[in-house]
Amino acid sequence: MEHYNMGLTLKVWRQKNKDDQGRFETYQVKDISSEMSFLEMFDVLNENLINEGKEPIAFDHDCREGICGMCSMHINGRAHGPWAGTTTCQLHMRAFKDGDTVTVEPWRAAAFPVVKDLTVDRGAFDRIIEAGGYISVNTGNAVDANAIPIAKDKADAAFAAAACIGCGACVAACKNSSAMLFVSAKVSQLAQLPQGEPERATRALNMVAQMDKEGFGSCTNTGACEAECPKEISLTNIARLNREFIRAGFTYEK
Amino acid sequence: MLNAKIPAGPLEKRWEEYKGHVKLVNPANKRSLEVIIIGTGLAGASAAASLGELGYKVKAFCFQDSARRAHSIAAQGGINAAKNYQNDGDSVYRLFYDTVKGGDYRSRESNVHRLAEVSANIIDQCVAQGVPFAREYGGLLSNRSFGGTQVQRTFYAAGQTGQQLLLGAYSALERQVALGNVTLYTRHEMLDIVKIDGKARGIIARDLITGKLERHFGHAVLLASGGYGNVFFLSTNAMGSNVTAAWKATKKGAFFGNPCYTQIHPTCIPVSGEHQSKLTLMSESLRNDGRIWVPKKKDDNRKPADIPEEERDYYLERRYPAFGNLVPRDVASRAAKERCDAGYGVGSSKQAVYLDYAAAIVRYGKIEAGKRGEHNASPELIDKLGKEVVAEKYGNLFDMYAKITGENPYEVPMRIYPAVHYTMGGLWVDYELMTTVPGLYALGEANFSDHGANRLGASALMQGLADGYFVIPYTIGNYLADEIRTKAIPTDHPAFAEAEKQVQDTIDRFMNIKGTKSVDHFHKKLGKIMWDKCGMARNEKGLKEAIEEIIALRAEFWKDVRIPGSANEFNPELEKAGRVADFLELGELMCRDALNRRESCGGHFREESQTEEGEALRNDQEFDYVAAWEYKADGSYELHKEQLVFEECKPTQRSYK
Amino acid sequence: MKWSQFFNTSIGKKLLVGITGLFLCSFIIVHLAGNVQLLYNDGGKGFNTYAAFMGHNSLIQFIAWGLKIVILLHAIVAIQLTFSNRKARPVKYAVSPGNQTSSWYSRQMAIMGSILFIFIVVHLSDFWWKFHYQSLPTVSYEATGEPIKDLYTVVQFAFKESWLVVLYVIGMIALSFHLIHGFKSAFQTFGLNHVKYNGLINFVGVWLFGILIPLGFAIIPVVIFFK
Ligand SMILES: Cc1cc2nc3c(=O)[nH]c(=O)nc-3n(C[C@H](O)[C@H](O)[C@H](O)COP(=O)(O)OP(=O)(O)OC[C@H]3O[C@@H](n4cnc5c(N)ncnc54)[C@H](O)[C@@H]3O)c2cc1C
Ligand code: HEM
Ligand code: SF4
Ligand code: FES
Repeated sequence: MEHYNMGLTLKVWRQKNKDDQGRFETYQVKDISSEMSFLEMFDVLNENLINEGKEPIAFDHDCREGICGMCSMHINGRAHGPWAGTTTCQLHMRAFKDGDTVTVEPWRAAAFPVVKDLTVDRGAFDRIIEAGGYISVNTGNAVDANAIPIAKDKADAAFAAAACIGCGACVAACKNSSAMLFVSAKVSQLAQLPQGEPERATRALNMVAQMDKEGFGSCTNTGACEAECPKEISLTNIARLNREFIRAGFTYEK
Repeated sequence: MLNAKIPAGPLEKRWEEYKGHVKLVNPANKRSLEVIIIGTGLAGASAAASLGELGYKVKAFCFQDSARRAHSIAAQGGINAAKNYQNDGDSVYRLFYDTVKGGDYRSRESNVHRLAEVSANIIDQCVAQGVPFAREYGGLLSNRSFGGTQVQRTFYAAGQTGQQLLLGAYSALERQVALGNVTLYTRHEMLDIVKIDGKARGIIARDLITGKLERHFGHAVLLASGGYGNVFFLSTNAMGSNVTAAWKATKKGAFFGNPCYTQIHPTCIPVSGEHQSKLTLMSESLRNDGRIWVPKKKDDNRKPADIPEEERDYYLERRYPAFGNLVPRDVASRAAKERCDAGYGVGSSKQAVYLDYAAAIVRYGKIEAGKRGEHNASPELIDKLGKEVVAEKYGNLFDMYAKITGENPYEVPMRIYPAVHYTMGGLWVDYELMTTVPGLYALGEANFSDHGANRLGASALMQGLADGYFVIPYTIGNYLADEIRTKAIPTDHPAFAEAEKQVQDTIDRFMNIKGTKSVDHFHKKLGKIMWDKCGMARNEKGLKEAIEEIIALRAEFWKDVRIPGSANEFNPELEKAGRVADFLELGELMCRDALNRRESCGGHFREESQTEEGEALRNDQEFDYVAAWEYKADGSYELHKEQLVFEECKPTQRSYK
Repeated sequence: MKWSQFFNTSIGKKLLVGITGLFLCSFIIVHLAGNVQLLYNDGGKGFNTYAAFMGHNSLIQFIAWGLKIVILLHAIVAIQLTFSNRKARPVKYAVSPGNQTSSWYSRQMAIMGSILFIFIVVHLSDFWWKFHYQSLPTVSYEATGEPIKDLYTVVQFAFKESWLVVLYVIGMIALSFHLIHGFKSAFQTFGLNHVKYNGLINFVGVWLFGILIPLGFAIIPVVIFFK
């Protein structure tokens, strides 16, 4: 791989706190190596800002290897930037060339208020999980792990849904700021496992009710979430959530 | 003398005995007992969920925006358990023995045995929570093998085992939040322990969004705040991983155990330049099929494909014919460093070795062609089939490598280099996981742990969950049973005010320095000192220099660091400053500990203590103890020793030749 | 969950939109089958007989009123959703992904639907209203005996008006895009997403509802205009 250096014009959303109006600021960065990650490029920019006596840009990140779900930038109109199946922290500067202008915005959704600059509050996701994204089993009550065999394809499908990192890119990418892909990933994981069976109906009903309460939009099935999801969570999960919810709505007695 | 409170009786009966006689707290009393838990990783989340279920009033804290993002999420490979599902001769005893041996005979046998005993329950618990472990076609759980063992006991969920386990614990935790038993404080950082009458009674935490300091009371405080690998700046740990919670505890009287024991993982993607912010692990499983080599000629700048077979040095296979590429982590890491230091490294930085899949692709390709009856398969077909097999086994890792480096690992060998990965050291705890401060506990990677001087792969997840699900729910009762008469102490108690003032003073001090250099500037400098002088190989001269350099760097930090913005807002730079300030103290203690331990063991390699062939040489006579350091004053520590007793596993020199 | 709650959730509302949408889909097949008779060279006999039958059969009248309610329900719930979806993103992005991550027509269901709505209103007031509530010239055929309203001639006359023809064509383009996405979307809403059937659903959505039917409807005014 040939490495090269580049200079970029960055338009970054700056917002002091949730009550601030916010606006774009334009910055120039030079000598950015194509080997850097996108966040390392931000590190360089922040280092420059600190040296100039300005405030660095606040952004969320932690693992920097695509698994914690913390990083969350909307880059040139794309949640997590131009690469498919990639988180912001995995995006590398090879994706850009010298002289590019890159616009960076926070996730935009009423349910994800901006905390500062590019950082948003995704607490709504936790509250949705609280509403039913679990199996009610206390520590110490479990039977032997091999007592219930689970068909490999079911287990694999449950795993594929469980791979969701809760980053919120699906919400950011959706024109409706819908959280259906996130919610469906959890509901799907548990609905496909025998352990999830006892709470199947209430889980779907309660999680969807909470999702609505948080102010996420509904699903128009445009597929933008699937296209931007770094873990490539499939739309079939949304279908399954619909199925689970409708089934519960029609049959659950309470 | 340190009392580890190890129960009497035969090793394999101790935990049963302990559980049978430990004091209990009745349900009504539990409701008025408050427990603070710092950290929502595997250890913290499992503890918070389990204690919440028992009825304690729990407050759990993490600095990330959600409990689900604790660093445990990043663990890839798997989790060990003595289930013996493979019928390959595994048992509690074997897991116990492998762990003590793997730890190079520097761990406490009683704890390790308990860990092995509860390991099986962990898998049951996780499966019940809906953790989608890998399965066989028959529907039963699948296992893989990991370094340092001869049985298949590692349970896994693709390359995302930590994620799946943590999401299981997180969902159990959120369930308790919904039930009102646990209150979660995300984006909160614990900045001090509050001690009243010698006991841990609460914490001071900073709300990271508003910058406000908060006081929280607890009858007991549990630290599950993870490891401190980031003292090296570059490590496989998440950016936020830090020692602050454990370090504040140290300053409040908890002893710090074996700080110098760090694990350097041999297969990570190498540093690509000055800008590097963290390192990415490539799972240990890659060493099953990959061959590691460097050119036989120094400064060989040819492309790897242009270097003929006879001009390659497969140095692990050469040095360790019996184990070859599968030697334990510490051995593999040191061997790579030795080659690079000698000038045989590859890549632009020359700080890398090749991990080559060409041979494996051909081998698998031939097998696959054979299966299809293509006995005269063309090299192209073999190559194609081989790549398919490799993709199925390691596809996600290869993709990860390709994303980071822009190179195609199916075509060119991967470049890898060792990186800091895990810290075996941590807060010293007794059998009940209590530190030397009554009421203050440490769980997970934050304690000095059950791994001795070297942790085996897939054992950290096991330990974190063992501590949280199966140990602390029993042992904390033993302490809290005597606290039922202690009413919640109002947080206007002078001890809270005093602790808060101290924290506030430190923050004010940071904000008032108004220096010229960023926090990262100092962190990188510290990391370099640590890596060069207290990293994969250590010697007396280097360690002494490092101590001086760290002291000087610390002084410079407190004079010249620049923290922009204000303290009353979301201010990541201020957070980092606090963490780096603590690393600057811890780093010194790590060097002092390394200096004190004039032997090589596990991840700690003292150049003065090696065999003629350059292998690590332990000194059991003088050093079979846990070094527990007591903080006296800044830069001044007193060493306490916990003598290790080996009743079952008699120490022998490890050999992999 | 009570029904009232159920149909007030986002998925419950989508279910309503989907059911009503697919009901409308089935209706337009029947509607087109009737309307192609406008193109027969029989002087309007087939069409007028059909229209008279439809206009007098009480079961069909019942369905026809139901149809209007269904259209209204579909439109009202869909627009309600559209507004709450808008509210879910109060601050827009400065740079949007365009068509890189989704098709434009899937994002413009409300626009296509609104064009359709305008079209439907014009369409109903032009023909249905006139047919039922205004006096029209009548014709008699041997088969039916009694004189019946000559809607055929009304239609032939109306489609000499170029603006109306253009409106119809636009309406049908809107219908096409609305249904290319809408038809398969409805199945997804019901939870019917299966690799073995997705191909078929997609095919029917695109070819039958996206192309054939709108084309069939659009051809009628165009042919009459140029006749
Ligand atoms: C890349 C990688 C791969 C790994 N793979 C494996 C593997 O395959 N198998 C295995 O067994 N082990 C593996 N490990 C090791 C293992 O993941 C960790 O040791 C383990 O997860 C640590 O868990 P923990 O609960 O102790 O801490 P963590 O998961 O690190 O959690 C720490 C928690 O403490 C909180 N915290 C810290 N400080 C504060 C503070 N001051 N105030 C408030 N909250 C605070 C954090 O927010 C977080 O919630 C791996 C490690 C890495 C880095
Ligand atoms: C009267 C004017 C109409 C309006 C305003 C309208 C509006 C909409 C809107 C906004 C949606 C998207 C809802 C969402 O996904 O969030 C939609 C979906 C749909 N519409 Fe319409 N529409 C109208 C007429 C029609 C007609 C005439 C048909 C059929 C002939 C139809 C069939 C459908 C179908 C099948 C869907 C998909 C439902 C789903 O996704 O579950 N619509 N409509
Ligand atoms: S579904 Fe995908 S995009 Fe949405 S939160 Fe999960 S990982 Fe992120
Ligand atoms: S920082 Fe963890 S996923 Fe990007």
